[in-house]
Amino acid sequence: MPATATPEVLPDIEQDQQADSRTDLEPGYLVVCWNDPVNLMHYVTHVFQTVFGWSRKKAERHMLEVHHNGKSVLIRESLEKAEFYVHQLQKYTLHATLERDAK
Amino acid sequence: MKPIRSAGEKFRFEMDPSEKALLFHVLQLYPLVPADHHRLSKDRYLANCEENQHLLEESLLARRLENRKQVDTLLNEPGRFKECPGGFRAGFTRGELEWLLQVLNDVRVGGWLALGSPDEHPEKKEGMSRQTLSHIMTMDVAGFFEMNFLNAVMGDPHRDDD
Repeated sequence: MPATATPEVLPDIEQDQQADSRTDLEPGYLVVCWNDPVNLMHYVTHVFQTVFGWSRKKAERHMLEVHHNGKSVLIRESLEKAEFYVHQLQKYTLHATLERDAK
Repeated sequence: MKPIRSAGEKFRFEMDPSEKALLFHVLQLYPLVPADHHRLSKDRYLANCEENQHLLEESLLARRLENRKQVDTLLNEPGRFKECPGGFRAGFTRGELEWLLQVLNDVRVGGWLALGSPDEHPEKKEGMSRQTLSHIMTMDVAGFFEMNFLNAVMGDPHRDDD
């Protein structure tokens, strides 16, 4: 069985209920990974496994979606968590952004 | 460069002198991606967009400084690369390979950005300057080490772990 990378641990974020709007706490933000011709497919799979703790199969499915469709929505989260994931993905130099979910 | 079957927590590799020199060369180039390259969102109307963009840049800068420190330690660590009949042997923990992958990919992406972010196959363009060739070689060398390290931490890419 191939080694599976350990997911990075989410920070223990204490929410300030007074300051945060309800909208920001709801999972209304999408973490999107965009295609580029420079990141190696094997590398992208590895990063998805590491950041999200996904199986190889799931990580490869999203990597192929990025490759063939130009982008893949990786996860739907609150603003804080979506930001955290975008930070993690960009530390690996992936082209990732957070977008508001239009739904 | 080849992986060596090893016991314990370290991933061990053997490389010839020219591979070691190339690895050191690409590591010394880090960081290559401009600090303001990453954008948090494509949505300009996102709440607190500028503030959150600033937080992203601070976070990436902190990681970059940490990675640079680790690179400097690695390059100057006595005994890390031990001489052997074929060249050198070196062992890395999983954590070390993780930041090495970040560093190598930064150099690879930085080379690509320096080429003007071409759609694909920059080596097929005619009339390449010396500098263009240098960026392409940097990308390829960084990619070579990335693949070797990825194969070590991920195993056979065609094997499913579900």
